[in-house]
Amino acid sequence: MNARKSAIVVVASLAASTMLIAATPAGEQGGAPPQSSKAVVMKGRAPVSTEMLHIKLPRPVETDLPNGLHLMVLEDRRAPQVSFQIIIPGAGGYFDPAEMPGVSSMTAAMMREGTTSKTTQQIAEMLETMAANVNVGGSLSGVTATISGSSLTENFDATFGLAADILLNPTFPKDEFDRYKSRTAAGLVQQRSNPSFLANEMFARMVYGAHPAARVAMNADVLKAATTETLAAFHKSHYVPDHALLAIAGDISMADARKLADAKLAAWKKAGTPAPTVQDPPAIGPARVSLIARPNSVQTSLWVGTQGISRTSPDFDIVTVMDKVIGGGPTGRLFVHLREEKGYTYGAYSQMSTGQYRGSWLASTDVRTEVTEPALKDLMAEIARMRDEPVPTKEFEDAKRSLVASFALSLESPTAVLSNHVSRWLYKLPVDYWDKLPERISAVTVAQVEAAAKKYLEPTRLQIVAVGDEAKVGPVLKQFGTVDVYDTNGVKK
Amino acid sequence: MPRHFRRFGLALIAALAGAATLAAQSAPRVTFTDTKMKNGLRVIISEDHSAPVFSIAVTYNAGSRDERKGRTGFAHLFEHMMFKGSEQVGPGEHFMLVFNNGGNMNGTTNKDRTLYFETLPANQLDLGLFLEADRMWSLEITAENLDNQRNAVQEERRLGVDNQPYGRTFEAVDALAYENFAYEHSVIGSMDDLTAATVDDVKQFFRTYYAPNNAILSVVGDVNTKDVLAKVSKYFDRIPAQPAPAVVDMTEPAQTAERRQTLEDPLARLPRIDMAWHTPGSFAPDDDALTVLATVLSSGRSSRFYEAIVRQAQLSSGVSAFSAGTRGPGLFQVIATALPGKTIADLEKAIDAEIEKVKTGPIQDWEITKARNSQKRAFVGGLGSSLQKAVNLGQYALFANDPNLINTYIDRINKVTAADVQRVAKQYFVNTNRTVVITNPKAAAGQEGVR
Repeated sequence: MNARKSAIVVVASLAASTMLIAATPAGEQGGAPPQSSKAVVMKGRAPVSTEMLHIKLPRPVETDLPNGLHLMVLEDRRAPQVSFQIIIPGAGGYFDPAEMPGVSSMTAAMMREGTTSKTTQQIAEMLETMAANVNVGGSLSGVTATISGSSLTENFDATFGLAADILLNPTFPKDEFDRYKSRTAAGLVQQRSNPSFLANEMFARMVYGAHPAARVAMNADVLKAATTETLAAFHKSHYVPDHALLAIAGDISMADARKLADAKLAAWKKAGTPAPTVQDPPAIGPARVSLIARPNSVQTSLWVGTQGISRTSPDFDIVTVMDKVIGGGPTGRLFVHLREEKGYTYGAYSQMSTGQYRGSWLASTDVRTEVTEPALKDLMAEIARMRDEPVPTKEFEDAKRSLVASFALSLESPTAVLSNHVSRWLYKLPVDYWDKLPERISAVTVAQVEAAAKKYLEPTRLQIVAVGDEAKVGPVLKQFGTVDVYDTNGVKK
Repeated sequence: MPRHFRRFGLALIAALAGAATLAAQSAPRVTFTDTKMKNGLRVIISEDHSAPVFSIAVTYNAGSRDERKGRTGFAHLFEHMMFKGSEQVGPGEHFMLVFNNGGNMNGTTNKDRTLYFETLPANQLDLGLFLEADRMWSLEITAENLDNQRNAVQEERRLGVDNQPYGRTFEAVDALAYENFAYEHSVIGSMDDLTAATVDDVKQFFRTYYAPNNAILSVVGDVNTKDVLAKVSKYFDRIPAQPAPAVVDMTEPAQTAERRQTLEDPLARLPRIDMAWHTPGSFAPDDDALTVLATVLSSGRSSRFYEAIVRQAQLSSGVSAFSAGTRGPGLFQVIATALPGKTIADLEKAIDAEIEKVKTGPIQDWEITKARNSQKRAFVGGLGSSLQKAVNLGQYALFANDPNLINTYIDRINKVTAADVQRVAKQYFVNTNRTVVITNPKAAAGQEGVR
């Protein structure tokens, strides 16, 4: 270990900044294996470059329009195509009327089903003949709704024009809404056969309680009761430009993008709506074990997790490193231990989900029914190890280097680069936030990660969700806590 | 780790910065070199300096078509063993080195080939080539590692097939449609055959198929061609060529009567119908018109299936049609799930009616334009991805012995006319050439069936 191990230098310039990423420090590859597991043996003979990699980080050009819309353009001439996103805070499912969760999703889905000048078939035919796409989405629990799309450069004016029409002039035709309802109702039935859906639904319920974050599926009764008037009203009051973002990446200049926005979005007027605010979910309930009895399951889906942090938490980078060590991809402890060593599963990973409000941390795996007990024990033991033991230096530095060096890969895609800047805008992060990523990750210490694990992975806050064969799995789960059993419709038995 | 890809999109070289207008009008080309090394390894290199990244794809001419009876699933199980250590690389070290140095990697097996790939920051060219060469040179095969990966693969089968609604339907379609064992059995294989695989099987498969003369190495991205060739020589030259593996007889006997099967699926909640017609394989002359036909029938909301069956008749929430993209004898497939309260019989009639229309009625100009633009879009969309280009160059080289298809495939699609589409619809959409599999939900105890 020497000074080079964190030799990551950042030099910012006007339009782009340069990031220098250090590779594995010289002489380090022969070191101890990253973890005490016979499943991974590091022979240390492969030629790993220690040469510094110079990376140019492109930055978008930005401006504010009179109606409140923020415009961000990342000009990239490598391919003759352009993509865009219009992100509208305040139009996501978080802001659904309390008695009608799902209205935001329905509104978004129905906007492209007809405008004052075009039918749903005309919209589909125009877009698909150009091989362009425009989508409107509002998640059930999210803060924003998004209209996004992309096309070849030669069709971008027409594509963006259609998107503007869908945004500004949707008619919510009744016959199309009836069709949408029957398709969506079928989907609500269909998804109950999928073990991951069942696990996700219960996990969100246990982690978030009555908070909107717990919504992962539309409610069949709300779907039945909703009217096109409800959707039109939601659209009118929530799809406002005051706090919105238009982000464009690809074969276009700021000047041309500005002209296009002025021309196509002229009718999108400031509404005077205050900036939307959100609240964190209430503190998580006591640790429980929830079993969804799924007849004929040959595997148990295991989801273990808890409430985590918001995107703007000061602990974000620390928890990112913690998550990488425990379950971020095939190098994570869960994969190495549960799959490569024990052969319990095809995969085992962890993930953090963060947004405006406090999100979640989750470790999950699917194992054959017979090994549910040892697999869950091992999974819980890995979480405990994270809390109780400092991460060995080599493993810790590998995880941090992986997080920083993989940044180079995102530079192949202008939309990936732009999406980093979109989150920077959405979460009001500093303008040089991405330039400083290597510095910040590099500064995270073993002690900080250990403290974060103690704080966020506390055993009394961990929720265990299992989907599987009740007769075989039910008795096994009792040793992990109080077990509540549900059927596949989510009804407690 | 491995995923099963269906078919790769197309890729095209990046236009020079500032030359975008020109690029949109003229047809830029992917430039590449194509070199045969002394040991038979085919090396394809394409430079693209637009991002500090490169990708390696190693395409082995070995897939589940090469398996023998009693060893189904073996090519894929073998793929897992390629991550369990070689002479100079410890078990698991491969993925540790790639990810810990900022890269990404995976392996995937299908009926026709096994593919290994990694994308890495530009300074790690030696690492990527070394890792691929070392496991082509030698494998450290132990019974313990084989048992471990056998378990992982059996879980992969449970995850993707046995624990999923309609999981067994995919296997049933191939098993019923094909008579030749090569494509009749699934890539994932049966539990019994996976259990039966031995260390000797692994050794023999490695010797036979994992030889330089049975592989294509493509390197694309921020690299220098001469430098790559020198390094390939340094790391791969010591690997000796092997006798060419026996050629598999792919002949599929002509089907003479419609085949039908009904399955009961305790995990499914809605009934589903799968149809499959025999077609020629990828890049055969009729394949282009069949690709356009699939677009006309099922691509997007302007497609015929969506408009007639999903939107108007409201029989299904989605009907898909696609060419399976195999190198040998192909299948054109249609899949649809019935909405609650709708019957499979009505759904089948509605699909048949649309098929009849495409055989006899007019095909609009815009439908052809849509198919052409959709290829152009896929083409341009692949511009920025070194991995996609590396994979496509290897795939075209293996399937058609023509890596330049990366440049010319779009021209083939552009030549397809409405008359061509109608001709292939008439030729292949006949009931004696068809297999139909219907999957009905089987209500289990404690689970109310929703019909």
